[in-house]
Amino acid sequence: MPPEDDRPNPWGEPAPEAAAGPTAERIVVPSESDSAPAAEQFNCPNCGGTVEIKAAGYSVSIACQYCGSTLDVSNPDVSIIQRYEGEVRKLELPLGSRGMMRGTEWEVIGYQRRSENGQYPWDEYLLFNPYEGYAFLDTDGRGWSLGRQLTAAPEKKTLVGFEVDGEFYEPFYAQTRAQVDYVLGEFYWRVKVGDEALTADFVRPGKMLSWERTRNETVWTLSELLEPHEITDAFGIDPPKGGGLPLPHQPSPYRQKAGQFMKLAVAVAVALLVITFLFGGTSDPQTTRINLATNGVEQTAKVGPIVLDRPRQAVTVSAQAPGIENSWIDLTYTLTNRDTGEIFEANNVVERYSGRDAEGNWSEGSSYSTSKFSMIPAGTYELNVFAAGSRWTQSQFGSSSNAQVDVTIEKGATFYSNLFLALLVVFAPALWQWFKHLSFESRRKSDSDFAGGDDD
Amino acid sequence: MQSENCPNCGAEVIFRSPALPARICDYCHSTVKRIADGVELAGEVAVLPFDVSPIQIGTRGEYGGKHFDVIGRIRLAYDQGAWNDWLCLFSDMTHGWLSESDGQFQMVIERPLKEIRSKLIRGLAKGKKARIGDRTQIDGSEFVVADARMATCVAAEGELPFAPSTGWEVFNVDLRDADGFSANFELEEDEDPAFYMGHYVTLAELNPKNLRAIHGWKMPDYAA
Repeated sequence: MPPEDDRPNPWGEPAPEAAAGPTAERIVVPSESDSAPAAEQFNCPNCGGTVEIKAAGYSVSIACQYCGSTLDVSNPDVSIIQRYEGEVRKLELPLGSRGMMRGTEWEVIGYQRRSENGQYPWDEYLLFNPYEGYAFLDTDGRGWSLGRQLTAAPEKKTLVGFEVDGEFYEPFYAQTRAQVDYVLGEFYWRVKVGDEALTADFVRPGKMLSWERTRNETVWTLSELLEPHEITDAFGIDPPKGGGLPLPHQPSPYRQKAGQFMKLAVAVAVALLVITFLFGGTSDPQTTRINLATNGVEQTAKVGPIVLDRPRQAVTVSAQAPGIENSWIDLTYTLTNRDTGEIFEANNVVERYSGRDAEGNWSEGSSYSTSKFSMIPAGTYELNVFAAGSRWTQSQFGSSSNAQVDVTIEKGATFYSNLFLALLVVFAPALWQWFKHLSFESRRKSDSDFAGGDDD
Repeated sequence: MQSENCPNCGAEVIFRSPALPARICDYCHSTVKRIADGVELAGEVAVLPFDVSPIQIGTRGEYGGKHFDVIGRIRLAYDQGAWNDWLCLFSDMTHGWLSESDGQFQMVIERPLKEIRSKLIRGLAKGKKARIGDRTQIDGSEFVVADARMATCVAAEGELPFAPSTGWEVFNVDLRDADGFSANFELEEDEDPAFYMGHYVTLAELNPKNLRAIHGWKMPDYAA
């Protein structure tokens, strides 16, 4: 379930009292210049190691980088909150590392390893700059995100999503419990191993909105996915290895391409249609009517002459026999060049059948047909038409004994099949990119608690 | 501007705001209170603990189209942390508080409580408690309680609208809305409740000058 809203629902036991034990005193590390000192220092009351407080005045707890014990620095005297038994981990981003990210210099001052009951662990680094406040740097090995805590309470939109700065975030991970498995460095809240919080996440491409509730407060954080090189440029570490499913807020790498290809395809399609319309039309029709009996006897007729003045030109011949019923007319056309005698031949048919069966009236065929001659050389041509009509005698329904066919010859032709093929070729890359986008989105969302249902 | 001598150590204490009754002596940390014919001593406050706040007394900035100077500060602490409330004197001699908590800033200005038509705020003024997540309408916008706790004044400096003493306690409630507006309710023992409204801001938005230079950190470009 996503959080209904951010009303408090206190849970868990109150924090245990700080363990009594040795304490240490803090001293300000003097600055050798005019500027104010930047850090405080104390000796860890557990191991004696020298620990520095970088965000003095804000930091409340510190996990000693030598012994891992968490210490309370909210009072002038440093006391132990929790002793740590075990080896101190070596961090991918060591505490004290500094890096420029998106125009701001950040120092790594804290580190938490968090998980859901030991499952799906992730690393969370706390960054500090005295002029900018805090930021979070999160990774689960697939990529790094830079997050800032929000000062505004996000607005709930629809049943499940939230809006920040007019941008909508859809639910991705439902409310679950996250725990702290390991901690090092300093924090502005009291942190220790075993601390739990309720979390839920909402995403839009490139960004994640995270909700977190503890006993004391509700916090919203907005993180942006960093480009792999940004983390490398800032801290000189290897870019994330990647692999596996896309991150919840990873933008689809195909979406933009699909959009660009689609725009290009639409532009080309429009151009093709314009060209087809401008240059593909027909002109100068001449028609001859042939009357024939549907007894199989061939009749001939002439249409033309027609003068083709372009070096290579298409010619359209159409036949129309509106009256025929349960009959067909076989048509043979010969287009003959008067000067050279060159002959172009084509065959076609007009046929129409109809009847009635158990399912009702039916009809098929058409009383119209078109033949196209392409690339006919310039010249004066005449068309000879050989027409033979036949009738369907087995039918209990009437068939025409006579037929009338109008044969028309026109200059030019529109080759719709070519246009269709061209459009298919033009749109194929866009459709392919869109298909890849959809399959990326479905892989990205497969990890969501709200997976299934709509794509995009 | 009024210049006096600290009744405790004799150092010069300057009151820049005519409306403020108290000032902490920069040298001996005595609270110097204005009376009809001069000043009198009103106790002593603890030295401020070291922090790396980028603000300092003398920091200047702009908010709501007006220039301001930071002239005072109180530091409040609770069991899980602490924050600074910086007193700002605007060019028209009005005051605002720049509240600094965990690196986040909000500028709030006092509003007469009787102007506020909110059941939650009226309830708070009568001594009721608020819980985190409670909601209320203020000026037509929905605010949610983000924080509600008792805090103790641990230190102060500069000019202040009251004569603070270390250990003085306040019940503080922070509210915020979806657009970055913030509201603040304060209740002190034996005092009238106070209500403040304003906006979350970034330092850059305040166009600040004379920020504190912190060793090892570059002054941001917007403050240079």
